[in-house]
Amino acid sequence: MMRPAGAPGGREATSPGVPLALDLSGVGKSFDGRPALSDASFALAWGEVHAIVGENGAGKSTLMNVAAGVYAADEGVQTIDGEPISPRSPMEATAAGLGMVHQHFRLVDSFTVAENVLLSLGRRGAVRTVAQASAAIAAKAKEIGLPVDPARIVADLSTAERQRAEIVRVLLLGARILVLDEPTAVLTEEEAKALLSFVRRLAGQGHAVVLITHKFREVAGFCDRVTIMRHGRTVLAGAAVAELDEGEVARLMVGETLTTGGRPASTPGDVRLSVSDLTLSAGPHAQGLASIGFDLRAGEVLGIAGVGGNGQEELVSCLISLSRPQQGTMLLAGRDVSAASPRERRRAGLRVIPSDRFDSGLIREFAIAGNLALSTVSEGAFGGPLFLDRARMRKAAATAIDAFDIRGATPARQTGLLSGGNAQKVLLARELDTGMTVLVAHSPSRGLDMKATQFVRSAIRRAVEGGAACLLISEDLQEVLSLSHRVAVMNRGAIAGCRGIDEVTPEWIGALLAGHA
Amino acid sequence: MLDAAFLVRRQAPGLVLSGFCYAGGLAFGLAVSAALLVQAGVPADALVDEFLIATFLTSDGLAQTVTAALPLVLVGLASAVAMRVRFWNIGVEGQLWLGAVAATWLGIAGGGPDGLRLPSMLLLSAAMGAAWIAVPLVLKLRFGVSEVISTLLLGSVAFLLVQHLLFGAWRDPATGFPVTAAFAQAARFGALGWGQLHAGLYAVLVVAALVWFALEHTRIGFYADAVGLNARAARANGLPVTGTIVGLVLLSGALSGLAGMTIVAGTEHRLNQSVGSGYLFSAIVIAYLARARPLWVVVVAVMLGAVFTAGSVLKVFYGISEGMIVLVQGTVLISILMAQFFSTYSLSRPG
Repeated sequence: MMRPAGAPGGREATSPGVPLALDLSGVGKSFDGRPALSDASFALAWGEVHAIVGENGAGKSTLMNVAAGVYAADEGVQTIDGEPISPRSPMEATAAGLGMVHQHFRLVDSFTVAENVLLSLGRRGAVRTVAQASAAIAAKAKEIGLPVDPARIVADLSTAERQRAEIVRVLLLGARILVLDEPTAVLTEEEAKALLSFVRRLAGQGHAVVLITHKFREVAGFCDRVTIMRHGRTVLAGAAVAELDEGEVARLMVGETLTTGGRPASTPGDVRLSVSDLTLSAGPHAQGLASIGFDLRAGEVLGIAGVGGNGQEELVSCLISLSRPQQGTMLLAGRDVSAASPRERRRAGLRVIPSDRFDSGLIREFAIAGNLALSTVSEGAFGGPLFLDRARMRKAAATAIDAFDIRGATPARQTGLLSGGNAQKVLLARELDTGMTVLVAHSPSRGLDMKATQFVRSAIRRAVEGGAACLLISEDLQEVLSLSHRVAVMNRGAIAGCRGIDEVTPEWIGALLAGHA
Repeated sequence: MLDAAFLVRRQAPGLVLSGFCYAGGLAFGLAVSAALLVQAGVPADALVDEFLIATFLTSDGLAQTVTAALPLVLVGLASAVAMRVRFWNIGVEGQLWLGAVAATWLGIAGGGPDGLRLPSMLLLSAAMGAAWIAVPLVLKLRFGVSEVISTLLLGSVAFLLVQHLLFGAWRDPATGFPVTAAFAQAARFGALGWGQLHAGLYAVLVVAALVWFALEHTRIGFYADAVGLNARAARANGLPVTGTIVGLVLLSGALSGLAGMTIVAGTEHRLNQSVGSGYLFSAIVIAYLARARPLWVVVVAVMLGAVFTAGSVLKVFYGISEGMIVLVQGTVLISILMAQFFSTYSLSRPG
């Protein structure tokens, strides 16, 4: 395997007698009864750069947030430099020597870098004035070779500069273990390289660095060891990078066997949705779309896999006409709907399950009956051109609640009070109506428990077997693989590749997910 | 140990709990107000007399309360319908001034058959109110200009326009004061023979009933709530988002304009510099306390009419300043809003 000059070999990172920098074992953590981590472990030695890789939702960030005191673990043991600790706040963890740089920086925009550092240091130690903070920053920046200007206001800094300020801040707080959560996701190629080289130098000076990532290139080029997580568990603990290749890592991330059962037993028919050359320019917080095109047939599920933030939200937004692409055409059942409003596309048979159901799907504060009727009131389903028969609306809602077995629901109850699975059923009950011909489902089972997930998937399966066409966009690879007839992978706003399900291999998906076709 | 406790949002506050909280807030607010008024020199035993008996339990007092409530119902509705689509109409007074100006123009210029005078004044004042809010509406929809600023500033522009007219073309030639000449009889709402109460009552009742029906029993209210609570979901589900916002915001301006007309045609019978002042604050108070529900707007407006009535009595007989009356309103509002907090959150102390 190739590695850049200057990068270390897979050195033996643990030596007897020297305590580990960080040791986590048997860590469990649930959110609202759903396990995010179960029996996860992680061992970090001083002087190494250690990568944690895994799919979205594998538990990488959660595990490190536990270590950094952001979340309290439900169970498990943690030591820092051999000392047992269960940090109850990030401050406690940093005081013990572990500091985390999150994807969203924790800096006050209107302050200078020095003021931010002063704010974090509080009344501890010798640094009590902006001048002293500036001097400390300058000294630290020089020591570790990271250019940071203490006098500049954070709002004026570029993303890379903010990240450097955040790193220096965390180190000044006393961290000798630095945890970076997907640090290169927000950087350009050049900036990423500079950061990773810095990280290597820092390890060379005796610090320990944890790099949460899903890019194999970074693992291979700059890390000593790698830990792989899947579904909240550690599936490979601290293997030397030199002994692994990309295919193996991809296989461990995704799982040994690709689940392929449960696909709708229907054969693709006529083209129902045809998208070509869909292009959207990037916004300040939005990924652009680069000439996306695909055909979707009746009775077919086209799965779109990909790491979140690669344009999935923007694609859905364009498909339902909440965003206007700069170019591209869209045909629904052969009819050109490129310029059509959300309402016209709905009338043409398009239905949507958005990834965040309370963003563009449901209204949290509305009664369940109101959400069930949201798209049909304007079509006159509950009385003439003007009137609204609320009694009829409640009656229809009661029928839907029974048909979809929505637990804890009454027509008048506020939708936001339902559990995630039952709120999703409200959405399904509305979207999977008789007029539906094309279903766009974006992460339809995200955040749901096993039973609700199965309900959602079998509802989609039945709809497709009944002749609907389904575009399934999901970060959950298992979901895409188990339901789709064809699989495409999205990366940086483009479709990186598309194959029939029989030709899909973990290596192919792994390579496209990581961004090299 | 309060530092070990934190606030938890209640899942669904019960009716009884909310009822107690509101009643408690009202009682607290009234108690503080009473203390303030006593401090300002009103004898304690006169408070009950002026606030309850003189405003609701005597014929004259009740008539005055209802008369004062008429424009309050309209501005309260104006604020409420805009609030339903999350449009902050801070320019209620400006639209009210424009409605008053429009009504005055027809009121003093005359022309046309007498029987059509009041209907045309109603229509024109509503249209002018709507036109005045159309400017901030277009600015918001087209350029994203915050309506909080634009409606507020246009309120001042409207007042300066009134001053311009009162010190210029419309100054009463008989007295030379900055007021217009009195309206012709045909341009006044007829007295109903009960205190100052006038036929504007019918117009207000009809308008309030229409707004109530539209918001509670037609699609308009459904659209408005959907747009106000989650415009993205409303748009994605094919609702006419822009149409709903435009319709209700114009209605808000029209209602404010009508309020101006009922004041000049009902009680003042001329335009002067004070007909529109104080209504902005009242409109927001009413809409908030009524939670933007039309029926409650009417109830709260009558209550506030009573405060106005009592206030004018206090002003005359006890030398209480205008500011004191606003202070009483503010105290009651803040108390009730604070009470709302208690019904929304509970205190949790983890083990």
